[in-house]
Amino acid sequence: MKKWIILLMVLMLALSMAACEGEDIQEEPVVSEGQEEERPFEGTTLELLVAYGGAEDSFDAFTDATGIEIEWMSMSTGAVLSKLQAEDGKTTADVWFGGGVDSYLNARDLGYLEPYKSPELSAINPQYIDEDGHFAGLALVPAGFIVNEDLLEELGLEGPETWLDLADPQYQGEIIMADPSISGTQYAILSGTIQELGEEEAWSYFEELIKNIDFFAKGGGEPQQKVAAGEFAIGVTAIHGRTFNIGETSPTREVFPEDFIPWTPAPIAIFQNTDNLEAAKALVDWYLSYEGQEILKEADARIMARDDVDPPEEMSGLDRSKLLDFDLERMGREREEILEKWEELIGGM
Amino acid sequence: MEACKDIWRERRLKNLLSPDSLIEKGLILLIVVTILLFILFPIIMVISTSFYQQGVIDFGNYRNLLSSANLELIRNSVFVATLSSLLGTFFALCVALYVFFQKRKVGELIYRSLMITMISPPFISAIALIMLFGRRGLITHGILGLSVNPYGWQGIVLLQTLSQISLASIMLISALNAIDSRLIQASRDLGANPTQTLSRVILPSIFPAIMSVLFLFFTMNMADFGTPIIIGGSFNVLAAEAYLKTFSAADIGKAATLSVLLIPPAIVAFYFYRKNVGKINTLSEGARTLKGAELNFRLPVIIRVFIGLVTGAFFFSMVLKYGNIFLSAITTNVSGELVFTWEHIERFHYRYVDAFYRTLRMSVMAGLLSSVVGILLSYYTHRLKLPLMKSVEFVASLPYIIPGLFFGLGYIVAFHNEPLLLTGTMTILILNCTFRHISVGNKAANAAFENIDGKLEMAARDLGTSRVGVLATIIFPLLKSSFLVSFINTFTKSMTTVGPIIFLATPRNMVSSVLMFHDITNGRYGLGAVVATVLIFITVSVNLVAIRFLSKEKEEKPAAERSLRKERGEKYAAGAKGFN
Repeated sequence: MKKWIILLMVLMLALSMAACEGEDIQEEPVVSEGQEEERPFEGTTLELLVAYGGAEDSFDAFTDATGIEIEWMSMSTGAVLSKLQAEDGKTTADVWFGGGVDSYLNARDLGYLEPYKSPELSAINPQYIDEDGHFAGLALVPAGFIVNEDLLEELGLEGPETWLDLADPQYQGEIIMADPSISGTQYAILSGTIQELGEEEAWSYFEELIKNIDFFAKGGGEPQQKVAAGEFAIGVTAIHGRTFNIGETSPTREVFPEDFIPWTPAPIAIFQNTDNLEAAKALVDWYLSYEGQEILKEADARIMARDDVDPPEEMSGLDRSKLLDFDLERMGREREEILEKWEELIGGM
Repeated sequence: MEACKDIWRERRLKNLLSPDSLIEKGLILLIVVTILLFILFPIIMVISTSFYQQGVIDFGNYRNLLSSANLELIRNSVFVATLSSLLGTFFALCVALYVFFQKRKVGELIYRSLMITMISPPFISAIALIMLFGRRGLITHGILGLSVNPYGWQGIVLLQTLSQISLASIMLISALNAIDSRLIQASRDLGANPTQTLSRVILPSIFPAIMSVLFLFFTMNMADFGTPIIIGGSFNVLAAEAYLKTFSAADIGKAATLSVLLIPPAIVAFYFYRKNVGKINTLSEGARTLKGAELNFRLPVIIRVFIGLVTGAFFFSMVLKYGNIFLSAITTNVSGELVFTWEHIERFHYRYVDAFYRTLRMSVMAGLLSSVVGILLSYYTHRLKLPLMKSVEFVASLPYIIPGLFFGLGYIVAFHNEPLLLTGTMTILILNCTFRHISVGNKAANAAFENIDGKLEMAARDLGTSRVGVLATIIFPLLKSSFLVSFINTFTKSMTTVGPIIFLATPRNMVSSVLMFHDITNGRYGLGAVVATVLIFITVSVNLVAIRFLSKEKEEKPAAERSLRKERGEKYAAGAKGFN
C-alpha cells in the first residue's frame, strides 16, 4: 500500500509540475504599480529572435534605459521563417532582430510582420527601410572576403582584390562560399552582382567562379570560421564585428573588394502576433535612436543605418562609394528565379 | 475450466461499473487518447504541409518527388547508411566479443565506459574530427604535417560508424550474455574447436540481435542530418537536404515532402528490426548464462588480437574525441597554437545556468512520464491483451521512424491554435520528449512481462485486490528496473537532443542543447564545448545514480538479473534513436 501511495504521489507530482510549467509561462509580465512617466514599460519582458551576432551585448543597456527586460535566442532567419509558417504567424516572440532581409520580405508578404513607422526613421536612409514600415534597417552589412595569410603564403598566392579575381584559376579549391539558397548574404551577393554587371556578364562570371569551388558551405557564418581554422585560404563572407574579432586570434585579414561591394541591411521588425506591441515599438525606437545605434555599433562593429552615426573604426578601409546601389525589392522578387538558375549552373555539385 | 470461466465472467459483469473498473477504463482511454493526440496527430499535421498550405491543396511538391536530383539524394543516403551500419555493426561485434571474453571486472569496466560514451552531444563530434584530422588538424597537420581533406562521404561514414559503436556493442553484449552457455559447453564437449564454436554456435545465436542492430542503425543513419551537414562537403543526403530546406530555405512543404521519402526505407528497416527482435533469445527454464571468461573457452589468437585492436582503437578515438571537447572548452586556437583561456567558461553565465536547470527539470519529468505511460501501454497491450492496443503500440513507435526535426515541427503545426495552444510553453517541450521516447519504456516492459509470472496478478485479484491495486502493488514494483531503464534512456536523450526541440524552444524556454547548437553554428566552438562538457557531466552523474539503483536491485534479487540483462538489451535495441 505504501508503495502504491508513493507511486501515485510521484505521478501526481510529475503531472502537477508539468501543469505548473504551463501556468508559469502564461503568466503575464507584471507591470509595477508606480509607473514613472518616461518608463511606461518597466517590468515588461520582450522575447527576441536574434540573428545579429554580438547584439546581445547591447541588451543590458537597453534594459537600463527603458526598464524592459529582454529574453532572446539566436535563430537563423530561414529557421524563423519556417517556424512562422508552421505556426501560421502565431509566434510567441515579439521582435525579430537582424538576419537576411529576403526572409523579412517573405514574412512581410505572408502578413507576419506588424507595420510600424518609427519617428526615428527620418534620420535613416530610405534605401534600408520597407516602404510601409514592416521592417527597418538597423545597420548595413557589407560583403567581401576573408583571407588566411599563413595559408596564402604557404600556397605562394597573392590575395584577391576584386570579385573578378576570385574566378582566377590559381585559387582553384582554395575558396569557400556559402550556398546562396541557405545564406541570405550569399544570395545578396549573387543578386547584387547581377544588378551591377547585368544578367549576361554576371552569369558567365559565376560559371567561371564555381570552377574554383569544391563545395558550398551550409551556412553564412561557416566560410569565415573555416578560413580562420586554416581549412580554406579565401572565404566569401559578410564583414562585421565578428569578422574583425576573428582577425585578433587568427592570421586572417578582411578584404573589401575594389570593384563593388554588395551589402544587406540588418533589419528589425515587430511580429504581428505580439502581445506587447507598445513595448516592442519602444524597442524599435530605441535601437533606431542615436544612442541605441551607438551602443549597438559598440556591440558589433557595423555601418549603422543612421546617417549621423559615424562608421566604426574597423570599417575605415571601406570606400562607401563602392557600395552597390542596391534595389532590395528587386532582390526579393527575383529570388526564386535566380536560385533556380544557380541550381542549374552548379548542377551535380 | 469452463466453470472457472463462468465465474470470472460473472464477476466481470458485476465489476463492470465499479469505481475500480471505471478508473481502469479511464486510464486506458487516457493512454490511447494521449498517444493519438501527441504522436499520430502531429505527424499527420506535418506531412500534410507537403500538400496543404495557406488553405490550398497542391500536390506540386510531389510532382518532382522522384526527380534525378532527389533520386541521387536517395542513392547517397542509402549508400552511406548501409556502409556505416555495416561497418558500425561489424566493429561493435568485435568490441562485444572482446568484452564477453574478458574477466568480469574488466568487462564491467568496459561496459560502463560504453554507457558513458553513449552520451554524445550532437554536432560536437563532427567538429572534433575536423579539428583533429582536417586540413589544419591538430594531428594530421600539427603532428604528421599532412593536409587532409575530411569532407565527403568518407567523413560521414567514419563518424556515423564511430558514433554507433557504443550503443551497438551494448546491445550485442546483452545478446551474448543471453546465450544459454550449455550450448557452448556442449559444442566444445562434442569436439568443436573454438573457431567452429564461434562460427556455428555463438554467432548464429546472436544473429537476430546482429540483424536488429543493423536495421536499427540503418534507420538512424538515414535520418541523421547533423553529420552530413558538417562533414559532407559537396556530398549531400536526403535528411540533410530536408533539414536545410526547413532551416535555411524556409520551405517546409518541400522539406516535409523529402522527409516523406525517408519513411518507406525506414519502415522496411523497422519491419526487419521487429521481426528479428522477436527472435532474440528468451531464456528457457533452466538455462544457464556464464560470462565468456568463466567458460574456459579461448578464441584463436588472430581473432583475439584483432578484436583487441578494434576495441583499443575505438577507445583511443573516444579519448581523442572527449579530450578534444574538454580541451576546446579551456583553450583557444591562436594562429594554430592552443592557448589556455578562461574566456569560454566566463561566457557561461546565468543564461546558461538557467537553461541547464530548465533542461534538467524537463528531462526528469519527460523521463518519469514516458516510463509510466510506456509501462501502462505494455500492460494493457500484452498482459491484458486488449483489442486494438497493438495498433496503438505501433503508433507509439512512429517517432522513432521519422526524423526528429519533423516530430518537433509537427508539434508546432498541430498545437499553435486554441484549444490546443501549447507553443511557447515548457509543457510542449516536456510532452515532445515524453512521447518521442515512449516506446522504450514500452519495449522494456514488454520484455519484463515475459519473465514475470502472470499468476501473481490473478492470485492478487482473487484475494480481492482491485485492478488499480494490482497495477500499483504488483506491476510497478516488479517493473522497477524497466522503469529505471526507460527513465535513463528518456532522460539522456532529452538532455542531448537538438532536432525535435529546436523549434519548440523559445527565448523564454531555452534548453541547453539548443543553446549549444546556436553557439556552434555561430562559430563559438569554445563556448559550445563548455556546454557540451557540462551536459556530459550532468547526464553521466544522473545515469550513474540510476545504474546504482539497478545494480542494487541485482544484489537483492539475483533471480531478477536475467530479466534485467535482457531488458538492457531490449532497452537499447528499442531505445536507440540517435541524436537527430
